[in-house]
Amino acid sequence: MSELTLASALLLVGWGTLVALDLVSVPQAMIARPIVAGAVAGWMTGDLDAGLRVGLLFELFALDVLPVGAVRYPDYGPATVVATALAAGAPWQFALGLSAALGLVLAVLGGLSLQLVRRLNARAIQRRAAALSAGESSAIRRLQYGGLLRDALRGGLLTALGLLAAWIIDTRVRLDGSTALGLTLVAVGCALSAAGGGALRSAGRGARLRWLAAGAVVGLVLAVLA
Amino acid sequence: MNGGWRAYLRLLAIQGTWNYERMLGVGMGYAAEPLLDDLKTIDPVRHSEAVVRSTDFFNCNPNLAGLALGATAKAEYDAVPGNQIARLRTALCSPLGALGDQLFWAGLIPALLGFAMAAIALGARWWPVLGFLALYNIARALTGIWALRTGYDSGMNVGAAIAKSWIPGAITRVGPVAGFAMGLALPLVATWYLRGIGWAGALGTLAVAATGVAVTRWYGVALTTVRFALLAILLLVLFRGIFP
Repeated sequence: MSELTLASALLLVGWGTLVALDLVSVPQAMIARPIVAGAVAGWMTGDLDAGLRVGLLFELFALDVLPVGAVRYPDYGPATVVATALAAGAPWQFALGLSAALGLVLAVLGGLSLQLVRRLNARAIQRRAAALSAGESSAIRRLQYGGLLRDALRGGLLTALGLLAAWIIDTRVRLDGSTALGLTLVAVGCALSAAGGGALRSAGRGARLRWLAAGAVVGLVLAVLA
Repeated sequence: MNGGWRAYLRLLAIQGTWNYERMLGVGMGYAAEPLLDDLKTIDPVRHSEAVVRSTDFFNCNPNLAGLALGATAKAEYDAVPGNQIARLRTALCSPLGALGDQLFWAGLIPALLGFAMAAIALGARWWPVLGFLALYNIARALTGIWALRTGYDSGMNVGAAIAKSWIPGAITRVGPVAGFAMGLALPLVATWYLRGIGWAGALGTLAVAATGVAVTRWYGVALTTVRFALLAILLLVLFRGIFP
Protein backbone atom coordinates (compact mmCIF):
# COMPACT_ATOMS: atom_id res chain seq x y z
CA MET A 1 0.00 0.00 0.00
CA SER A 2 1.36 3.41 -0.93
CA GLU A 3 1.78 5.89 1.89
CA LEU A 4 -1.54 7.71 2.16
CA THR A 5 -1.60 11.33 3.28
CA LEU A 6 -4.74 12.68 4.95
CA ALA A 7 -5.51 14.61 1.76
CA SER A 8 -5.25 11.55 -0.48
CA ALA A 9 -7.29 9.46 1.99
CA LEU A 10 -10.01 12.12 1.96
CA LEU A 11 -9.85 12.22 -1.82
CA LEU A 12 -10.37 8.45 -1.93
CA VAL A 13 -13.28 8.66 0.53
CA GLY A 14 -14.82 11.38 -1.67
CA TRP A 15 -14.37 9.23 -4.76
CA GLY A 16 -15.78 6.18 -2.97
CA THR A 17 -18.83 8.24 -1.96
CA LEU A 18 -19.46 9.39 -5.54
CA VAL A 19 -18.99 5.86 -6.81
CA ALA A 20 -21.44 4.46 -4.23
CA LEU A 21 -24.02 7.12 -5.12
CA ASP A 22 -23.65 6.36 -8.81
CA LEU A 23 -24.53 2.68 -8.42
CA VAL A 24 -28.23 3.32 -7.83
CA SER A 25 -29.12 6.82 -6.64
CA VAL A 26 -27.54 9.40 -8.93
CA PRO A 27 -26.47 9.82 -11.75
CA GLN A 28 -25.89 6.20 -12.89
CA ALA A 29 -23.19 7.46 -15.23
CA MET A 30 -21.33 4.14 -14.76
CA ILE A 31 -18.49 5.59 -12.68
CA ALA A 32 -19.51 2.84 -10.22
CA ARG A 33 -18.26 0.21 -12.68
CA PRO A 34 -15.07 -1.23 -11.16
CA ILE A 35 -13.11 -0.56 -14.35
CA VAL A 36 -13.76 3.18 -13.89
CA ALA A 37 -13.65 3.27 -10.08
CA GLY A 38 -10.35 1.36 -10.07
CA ALA A 39 -8.67 3.43 -12.80
CA VAL A 40 -9.48 6.73 -11.07
CA ALA A 41 -8.48 5.35 -7.64
CA GLY A 42 -5.23 4.11 -9.20
CA TRP A 43 -4.56 7.56 -10.61
CA MET A 44 -5.31 9.11 -7.19
CA THR A 45 -2.87 6.79 -5.43
CA GLY A 46 -0.22 7.29 -8.12
CA ASP A 47 -0.40 3.72 -9.43
CA LEU A 48 -2.65 3.57 -12.49
CA ASP A 49 -1.57 0.00 -13.27
CA ALA A 50 -2.75 -1.21 -9.86
CA GLY A 51 -6.07 0.55 -10.48
CA LEU A 52 -6.49 -1.16 -13.84
CA ARG A 53 -5.52 -4.60 -12.50
CA VAL A 54 -7.89 -4.33 -9.52
CA GLY A 55 -10.59 -2.64 -11.61
CA LEU A 56 -10.61 -5.34 -14.27
CA LEU A 57 -10.63 -8.07 -11.64
CA PHE A 58 -13.73 -6.67 -9.94
CA GLU A 59 -15.28 -5.89 -13.32
CA LEU A 60 -15.14 -9.61 -14.06
CA PHE A 61 -17.03 -10.27 -10.82
CA ALA A 62 -19.51 -7.47 -11.58
CA LEU A 63 -20.29 -8.92 -15.02
CA ASP A 64 -22.07 -11.75 -13.21
CA VAL A 65 -24.61 -9.24 -11.84
CA LEU A 66 -27.72 -8.18 -13.73
CA PRO A 67 -29.08 -5.36 -11.53
CA VAL A 68 -32.71 -5.50 -12.60
CA GLY A 69 -35.90 -5.14 -10.56
CA ALA A 70 -35.41 -5.67 -6.83
CA VAL A 71 -32.44 -8.02 -7.20
CA ARG A 72 -29.83 -7.88 -4.40
CA TYR A 73 -26.18 -7.64 -5.41
CA PRO A 74 -22.77 -6.70 -3.99
CA ASP A 75 -21.58 -3.09 -4.30
CA TYR A 76 -18.24 -3.35 -6.09
CA GLY A 77 -17.58 0.41 -6.41
CA PRO A 78 -16.21 1.45 -2.98
CA ALA A 79 -14.72 -2.07 -2.67
CA THR A 80 -12.67 -1.44 -5.82
CA VAL A 81 -11.50 1.96 -4.54
CA VAL A 82 -10.28 0.45 -1.26
CA ALA A 83 -8.73 -2.63 -2.91
CA THR A 84 -6.84 -0.36 -5.32
CA ALA A 85 -5.49 1.68 -2.40
CA LEU A 86 -4.28 -1.54 -0.74
CA ALA A 87 -2.67 -2.87 -3.94
CA ALA A 88 -1.02 0.42 -4.98
CA GLY A 89 2.74 0.61 -4.87
CA ALA A 90 3.35 -3.16 -4.70
CA PRO A 91 3.97 -5.74 -7.46
CA TRP A 92 0.47 -6.71 -8.59
CA GLN A 93 1.20 -10.46 -8.66
CA PHE A 94 1.65 -10.40 -4.87
CA ALA A 95 -0.80 -7.63 -3.92
CA LEU A 96 -3.85 -8.44 -6.00
CA GLY A 97 -5.02 -11.51 -4.06
CA LEU A 98 -5.04 -9.90 -0.62
CA SER A 99 -6.66 -6.72 -1.90
CA ALA A 100 -9.26 -8.81 -3.75
CA ALA A 101 -10.08 -10.65 -0.51
CA LEU A 102 -10.64 -7.35 1.32
CA GLY A 103 -12.56 -5.94 -1.65
CA LEU A 104 -14.90 -8.93 -1.84
CA VAL A 105 -15.76 -8.66 1.86
CA LEU A 106 -16.43 -4.93 1.39
CA ALA A 107 -18.53 -5.61 -1.70
CA VAL A 108 -20.76 -7.97 0.31
CA LEU A 109 -21.01 -5.40 3.13
CA GLY A 110 -21.81 -2.74 0.52
CA GLY A 111 -24.66 -4.85 -0.83
CA LEU A 112 -26.06 -5.32 2.69
CA SER A 113 -25.76 -1.60 3.43
CA LEU A 114 -27.66 -0.86 0.22
CA GLN A 115 -30.55 -3.00 1.47
CA LEU A 116 -30.46 -1.13 4.77
CA VAL A 117 -30.69 2.22 2.95
CA ARG A 118 -33.67 0.91 0.96
CA ARG A 119 -35.45 -0.10 4.16
CA LEU A 120 -34.69 3.30 5.74
CA ASN A 121 -36.10 4.97 2.60
CA ALA A 122 -39.30 2.96 3.00
CA ARG A 123 -39.58 3.98 6.65
CA ALA A 124 -39.07 7.65 5.77
CA ILE A 125 -41.84 7.37 3.15
CA GLN A 126 -44.17 5.76 5.69
CA ARG A 127 -43.50 8.63 8.10
CA ARG A 128 -44.49 11.15 5.42
CA ALA A 129 -47.39 9.13 4.02
CA ALA A 130 -49.96 11.74 5.04
CA ALA A 131 -48.05 14.55 3.32
CA LEU A 132 -47.65 12.42 0.17
CA SER A 133 -51.38 11.62 0.16
CA ALA A 134 -52.09 15.35 0.38
CA GLY A 135 -49.91 15.98 -2.70
CA GLU A 136 -47.30 18.11 -0.90
CA SER A 137 -44.40 18.66 -3.29
CA SER A 138 -42.12 19.72 -0.42
CA ALA A 139 -42.52 16.25 1.16
CA ILE A 140 -41.40 14.60 -2.11
CA ARG A 141 -38.32 16.82 -2.27
CA ARG A 142 -37.40 16.14 1.37
CA LEU A 143 -37.75 12.40 0.85
CA GLN A 144 -35.63 12.54 -2.27
CA TYR A 145 -32.82 14.57 -0.68
CA GLY A 146 -32.97 12.36 2.43
CA GLY A 147 -32.55 9.23 0.31
CA LEU A 148 -29.58 10.72 -1.51
CA LEU A 149 -27.97 11.78 1.77
CA ARG A 150 -28.40 8.30 3.27
CA ASP A 151 -26.77 6.70 0.24
CA ALA A 152 -23.90 9.22 0.29
CA LEU A 153 -23.29 8.51 3.98
CA ARG A 154 -23.33 4.78 3.22
CA GLY A 155 -20.69 5.17 0.52
CA GLY A 156 -18.49 7.48 2.58
CA LEU A 157 -18.59 5.26 5.66
CA LEU A 158 -17.99 2.11 3.66
CA THR A 159 -14.94 3.61 1.94
CA ALA A 160 -13.53 5.11 5.15
CA LEU A 161 -13.92 1.85 7.09
CA GLY A 162 -12.47 -0.05 4.15
CA LEU A 163 -9.41 2.23 4.05
CA LEU A 164 -8.94 1.73 7.79
CA ALA A 165 -9.09 -2.06 7.29
CA ALA A 166 -6.62 -1.74 4.38
CA TRP A 167 -4.22 0.21 6.57
CA ILE A 168 -4.47 -2.40 9.35
CA ILE A 169 -3.88 -5.24 6.87
CA ASP A 170 -0.94 -3.39 5.36
CA THR A 171 0.73 -2.84 8.71
CA ARG A 172 -0.13 -6.17 10.38
CA VAL A 173 -0.44 -8.91 7.75
CA ARG A 174 2.73 -10.37 6.28
CA LEU A 175 2.26 -13.07 3.66
CA ASP A 176 5.06 -15.17 2.19
CA GLY A 177 5.51 -14.86 -1.57
CA SER A 178 3.91 -18.13 -2.57
CA THR A 179 0.78 -17.55 -0.44
CA ALA A 180 0.39 -14.03 -1.84
CA LEU A 181 0.79 -15.32 -5.40
CA GLY A 182 -1.59 -18.21 -4.68
CA LEU A 183 -4.22 -15.76 -3.44
CA THR A 184 -3.85 -13.74 -6.63
CA LEU A 185 -4.26 -16.81 -8.82
CA VAL A 186 -7.33 -17.97 -6.87
CA ALA A 187 -8.85 -14.48 -7.09
CA VAL A 188 -8.23 -14.29 -10.85
CA GLY A 189 -9.65 -17.80 -11.33
CA CYS A 190 -12.80 -16.93 -9.36
CA ALA A 191 -13.20 -13.66 -11.27
CA LEU A 192 -12.89 -15.47 -14.60
CA SER A 193 -15.46 -18.02 -13.46
CA ALA A 194 -17.87 -15.21 -12.50
CA ALA A 195 -17.51 -13.46 -15.86
CA GLY A 196 -17.57 -16.72 -17.83
CA GLY A 197 -20.66 -17.97 -15.99
CA GLY A 198 -22.39 -14.60 -16.43
CA ALA A 199 -21.54 -14.46 -20.15
CA LEU A 200 -22.85 -18.00 -20.71
CA ARG A 201 -26.04 -17.29 -18.79
CA SER A 202 -26.84 -14.10 -20.68
CA ALA A 203 -25.92 -15.70 -24.02
CA GLY A 204 -28.66 -18.32 -23.71
CA ARG A 205 -28.78 -20.80 -26.59
CA GLY A 206 -29.49 -18.56 -29.57
CA ALA A 207 -27.52 -16.28 -31.87
CA ARG A 208 -25.84 -14.53 -28.96
CA LEU A 209 -24.15 -17.78 -27.91
CA ARG A 210 -22.70 -18.15 -31.41
CA TRP A 211 -21.42 -14.58 -31.28
CA LEU A 212 -19.92 -15.25 -27.84
CA ALA A 213 -18.07 -18.25 -29.27
CA ALA A 214 -16.92 -16.23 -32.30
CA GLY A 215 -15.62 -13.49 -30.01
CA ALA A 216 -13.80 -16.05 -27.88
CA VAL A 217 -12.04 -17.47 -30.96
CA VAL A 218 -10.94 -13.98 -32.08
CA GLY A 219 -9.85 -13.20 -28.51
CA LEU A 220 -7.78 -16.37 -28.32
CA VAL A 221 -6.07 -15.61 -31.64
CA LEU A 222 -5.28 -12.06 -30.51
CA ALA A 223 -4.03 -13.35 -27.16
CA VAL A 224 -1.62 -15.71 -28.93
CA LEU A 225 -0.45 -13.03 -31.36
CA ALA A 226 -0.10 -10.22 -28.79
CA MET B 1 -43.40 20.96 -22.71
CA ASN B 2 -42.44 23.44 -19.98
CA GLY B 3 -39.98 22.19 -17.36
CA GLY B 4 -38.70 19.45 -19.67
CA TRP B 5 -35.01 19.99 -19.01
CA ARG B 6 -35.52 20.18 -15.24
CA ALA B 7 -37.56 16.99 -15.41
CA TYR B 8 -34.81 15.32 -17.46
CA LEU B 9 -32.12 16.31 -14.94
CA ARG B 10 -34.28 15.06 -12.09
CA LEU B 11 -34.74 11.76 -13.91
CA LEU B 12 -31.01 11.18 -13.36
CA ALA B 13 -31.82 10.85 -9.65
CA ILE B 14 -35.01 8.84 -10.15
CA GLN B 15 -33.67 6.01 -7.97
CA GLY B 16 -32.65 8.35 -5.13
CA THR B 17 -35.45 7.07 -2.88
CA TRP B 18 -35.47 3.48 -4.16
CA ASN B 19 -37.25 1.18 -1.69
CA TYR B 20 -39.01 -2.18 -1.63
CA GLU B 21 -42.52 -0.65 -1.31
CA ARG B 22 -42.91 2.06 -3.95
CA MET B 23 -39.63 1.34 -5.76
CA LEU B 24 -39.13 4.33 -8.14
CA GLY B 25 -42.44 5.93 -7.10
CA VAL B 26 -41.16 8.90 -5.11
CA GLY B 27 -38.35 9.49 -7.62
CA MET B 28 -40.96 9.67 -10.38
CA GLY B 29 -42.89 12.21 -8.33
CA TYR B 30 -39.73 14.27 -7.88
CA ALA B 31 -39.05 14.24 -11.63
CA ALA B 32 -42.71 14.98 -12.47
CA GLU B 33 -42.83 18.15 -10.36
CA PRO B 34 -41.42 20.57 -13.01
CA LEU B 35 -43.65 19.07 -15.72
CA LEU B 36 -46.79 19.48 -13.61
CA ASP B 37 -46.02 23.07 -12.52
CA ASP B 38 -48.29 24.69 -15.14
CA LEU B 39 -51.20 22.52 -14.05
CA LYS B 40 -51.14 24.37 -10.71
CA THR B 41 -52.47 27.54 -12.35
CA ILE B 42 -54.85 25.72 -14.75
CA ASP B 43 -56.51 23.42 -12.19
CA PRO B 44 -55.06 23.37 -8.64
CA VAL B 45 -57.22 20.42 -7.52
CA ARG B 46 -56.19 18.35 -10.53
CA HIS B 47 -52.55 19.33 -9.87
CA SER B 48 -52.77 18.04 -6.34
CA GLU B 49 -54.27 14.74 -7.50
CA ALA B 50 -51.62 14.45 -10.23
CA VAL B 51 -48.80 14.93 -7.68
CA VAL B 52 -50.28 12.16 -5.51
CA ARG B 53 -50.55 9.81 -8.52
CA SER B 54 -46.97 10.62 -9.58
CA THR B 55 -45.53 9.19 -6.34
CA ASP B 56 -47.42 5.87 -6.42
CA PHE B 57 -45.64 2.55 -6.96
CA PHE B 58 -43.59 2.49 -10.15
CA ASN B 59 -40.66 0.50 -11.42
CA CYS B 60 -38.86 0.21 -14.74
CA ASN B 61 -35.41 0.71 -16.22
CA PRO B 62 -34.43 4.27 -15.22
CA ASN B 63 -33.19 5.14 -18.71
CA LEU B 64 -36.66 4.63 -20.19
CA ALA B 65 -38.63 6.08 -17.26
CA GLY B 66 -39.00 9.32 -19.24
CA LEU B 67 -41.50 7.58 -21.53
CA ALA B 68 -43.84 6.91 -18.61
CA LEU B 69 -43.15 10.29 -17.04
CA GLY B 70 -43.86 12.25 -20.23
CA ALA B 71 -46.93 10.18 -21.12
CA THR B 72 -48.57 10.50 -17.70
CA ALA B 73 -47.80 14.23 -17.46
CA LYS B 74 -49.41 14.80 -20.88
CA ALA B 75 -52.41 12.73 -19.82
CA GLU B 76 -52.80 14.92 -16.74
CA TYR B 77 -52.92 18.06 -18.93
CA ASP B 78 -55.38 16.31 -21.29
CA ALA B 79 -57.70 15.72 -18.29
CA VAL B 80 -57.70 11.96 -18.78
CA PRO B 81 -59.53 10.28 -15.84
CA GLY B 82 -57.17 9.53 -12.97
CA ASN B 83 -57.87 5.79 -12.89
CA GLN B 84 -56.86 5.51 -16.56
CA ILE B 85 -53.59 7.31 -15.87
CA ALA B 86 -52.89 4.97 -12.95
CA ARG B 87 -53.60 1.97 -15.21
CA LEU B 88 -51.27 3.33 -17.90
CA ARG B 89 -48.52 3.77 -15.32
CA THR B 90 -48.95 0.21 -14.07
CA ALA B 91 -49.11 -1.18 -17.59
CA LEU B 92 -45.83 0.53 -18.55
CA CYS B 93 -43.78 -0.94 -15.67
CA SER B 94 -43.05 -4.37 -17.17
CA PRO B 95 -42.44 -3.42 -20.84
CA LEU B 96 -40.22 -0.45 -19.97
CA GLY B 97 -38.34 -2.61 -17.48
CA ALA B 98 -37.85 -5.46 -19.95
CA LEU B 99 -36.91 -3.24 -22.90
CA GLY B 100 -34.57 -1.00 -20.92
CA ASP B 101 -32.84 -3.87 -19.16
CA GLN B 102 -32.28 -5.73 -22.44
CA LEU B 103 -31.07 -2.60 -24.19
CA PHE B 104 -28.75 -1.34 -21.46
CA TRP B 105 -27.91 -3.99 -18.86
CA ALA B 106 -27.81 -6.98 -21.20
CA GLY B 107 -26.78 -5.11 -24.35
CA LEU B 108 -25.00 -1.78 -24.47
CA ILE B 109 -23.16 -1.99 -21.15
CA PRO B 110 -21.61 -5.47 -21.60
CA ALA B 111 -20.81 -4.60 -25.24
CA LEU B 112 -18.92 -1.43 -24.31
CA LEU B 113 -17.30 -3.04 -21.28
CA GLY B 114 -16.18 -6.05 -23.32
CA PHE B 115 -14.40 -3.88 -25.89
CA ALA B 116 -12.93 -1.64 -23.16
CA MET B 117 -11.56 -4.63 -21.22
CA ALA B 118 -10.12 -6.16 -24.38
CA ALA B 119 -8.40 -2.87 -25.23
CA ILE B 120 -6.90 -2.58 -21.73
CA ALA B 121 -5.65 -6.15 -21.93
CA LEU B 122 -4.03 -5.33 -25.27
CA GLY B 123 -2.05 -2.51 -23.67
CA ALA B 124 -4.22 0.59 -23.94
CA ARG B 125 -4.40 2.31 -20.57
CA TRP B 126 -6.74 5.27 -19.99
CA TRP B 127 -8.56 5.68 -23.24
CA PRO B 128 -10.82 2.58 -23.11
CA VAL B 129 -12.13 3.74 -19.73
CA LEU B 130 -12.82 7.23 -21.08
CA GLY B 131 -14.28 5.79 -24.28
CA PHE B 132 -16.63 3.54 -22.30
CA LEU B 133 -17.82 6.45 -20.15
CA ALA B 134 -18.26 8.81 -23.12
CA LEU B 135 -20.12 6.37 -25.39
CA TYR B 136 -22.39 5.08 -22.65
CA ASN B 137 -23.31 8.53 -21.39
CA ILE B 138 -23.96 9.92 -24.89
CA ALA B 139 -26.24 6.96 -25.70
CA ARG B 140 -27.98 7.20 -22.38
CA ALA B 141 -28.48 10.99 -22.57
CA LEU B 142 -29.91 10.82 -26.09
CA THR B 143 -32.20 7.94 -25.06
CA GLY B 144 -33.39 9.82 -21.98
CA ILE B 145 -34.19 12.99 -23.94
CA TRP B 146 -35.94 10.97 -26.67
CA ALA B 147 -37.92 9.02 -24.06
CA LEU B 148 -39.23 12.13 -22.29
CA ARG B 149 -40.16 13.87 -25.56
CA THR B 150 -41.79 10.76 -27.09
CA GLY B 151 -43.73 10.10 -23.90
CA TYR B 152 -45.01 13.67 -23.74
CA ASP B 153 -45.89 13.80 -27.44
CA SER B 154 -47.74 10.46 -27.32
CA GLY B 155 -49.64 10.74 -24.04
CA MET B 156 -52.00 7.79 -23.66
CA ASN B 157 -50.78 6.35 -27.00
CA VAL B 158 -47.25 5.85 -25.69
CA GLY B 159 -47.52 2.04 -26.05
CA ALA B 160 -47.95 2.31 -29.81
CA ALA B 161 -45.12 4.87 -29.99
CA ILE B 162 -42.76 2.46 -28.20
CA ALA B 163 -43.74 -0.45 -30.47
CA LYS B 164 -43.00 1.66 -33.58
CA SER B 165 -39.78 3.12 -32.17
CA TRP B 166 -36.13 2.17 -32.74
CA ILE B 167 -35.88 0.31 -29.41
CA PRO B 168 -37.00 -3.24 -30.41
CA GLY B 169 -34.64 -3.19 -33.42
CA ALA B 170 -31.74 -1.88 -31.35
CA ILE B 171 -32.20 -4.68 -28.81
CA THR B 172 -32.02 -7.28 -31.59
CA ARG B 173 -28.78 -5.77 -32.87
CA VAL B 174 -26.97 -5.01 -29.61
CA GLY B 175 -27.36 -8.51 -28.09
CA PRO B 176 -24.99 -10.28 -30.51
CA VAL B 177 -22.51 -7.38 -30.27
CA ALA B 178 -22.49 -7.80 -26.47
CA GLY B 179 -21.97 -11.55 -26.85
CA PHE B 180 -19.05 -11.01 -29.24
CA ALA B 181 -17.46 -8.35 -27.02
CA MET B 182 -17.66 -10.58 -23.95
CA GLY B 183 -16.22 -13.52 -25.86
CA LEU B 184 -13.40 -11.32 -27.16
CA ALA B 185 -12.55 -9.89 -23.74
CA LEU B 186 -12.38 -13.05 -21.63
CA PRO B 187 -9.37 -14.81 -23.24
CA LEU B 188 -7.51 -11.51 -23.58
CA VAL B 189 -8.06 -10.54 -19.95
CA ALA B 190 -7.18 -14.07 -18.77
CA THR B 191 -3.92 -13.93 -20.75
CA TRP B 192 -3.20 -10.43 -19.42
CA TYR B 193 -3.28 -11.75 -15.85
CA LEU B 194 -1.65 -15.12 -16.46
CA ARG B 195 1.21 -14.12 -18.76
CA GLY B 196 4.50 -14.53 -16.91
CA ILE B 197 2.92 -16.58 -14.11
CA GLY B 198 4.16 -19.91 -15.52
CA TRP B 199 2.26 -22.92 -16.84
CA ALA B 200 1.52 -24.48 -13.45
CA GLY B 201 0.03 -21.28 -12.05
CA ALA B 202 -1.95 -20.61 -15.21
CA LEU B 203 -3.38 -24.12 -15.27
CA GLY B 204 -4.27 -23.87 -11.57
CA THR B 205 -6.09 -20.58 -12.18
CA LEU B 206 -8.01 -22.01 -15.12
CA ALA B 207 -8.93 -25.04 -12.99
CA VAL B 208 -10.30 -22.70 -10.30
CA ALA B 209 -12.25 -20.83 -13.01
CA ALA B 210 -13.74 -24.05 -14.45
CA THR B 211 -14.63 -25.31 -10.96
CA GLY B 212 -16.25 -21.96 -10.18
CA VAL B 213 -18.42 -22.02 -13.32
CA ALA B 214 -19.53 -25.61 -12.62
CA VAL B 215 -20.12 -25.24 -8.87
CA THR B 216 -21.98 -21.91 -9.05
CA ARG B 217 -24.15 -23.30 -11.85
CA TRP B 218 -25.07 -26.38 -9.81
CA TYR B 219 -25.67 -24.65 -6.48
CA GLY B 220 -27.20 -21.47 -7.95
CA VAL B 221 -28.38 -18.97 -5.34
CA ALA B 222 -26.84 -20.85 -2.39
CA LEU B 223 -23.29 -20.46 -3.72
CA THR B 224 -22.88 -17.18 -5.59
CA THR B 225 -19.61 -16.36 -7.31
CA VAL B 226 -18.61 -14.02 -4.49
CA ARG B 227 -19.26 -16.69 -1.86
CA PHE B 228 -17.33 -19.20 -3.93
CA ALA B 229 -14.41 -16.76 -4.20
CA LEU B 230 -14.36 -16.02 -0.46
CA LEU B 231 -14.54 -19.75 0.29
CA ALA B 232 -11.69 -20.52 -2.11
CA ILE B 233 -9.53 -17.75 -0.61
CA LEU B 234 -10.27 -18.99 2.92
CA LEU B 235 -9.40 -22.57 1.95
CA LEU B 236 -6.11 -21.44 0.44
CA VAL B 237 -5.16 -19.47 3.56
CA LEU B 238 -6.05 -22.46 5.77
CA PHE B 239 -4.10 -24.83 3.54
CA ARG B 240 -1.04 -22.57 3.62
CA GLY B 241 -1.40 -22.27 7.39
CA ILE B 242 -1.42 -26.04 7.85
CA PHE B 243 1.19 -26.82 5.16
CA PRO B 244 3.49 -23.77 5.09
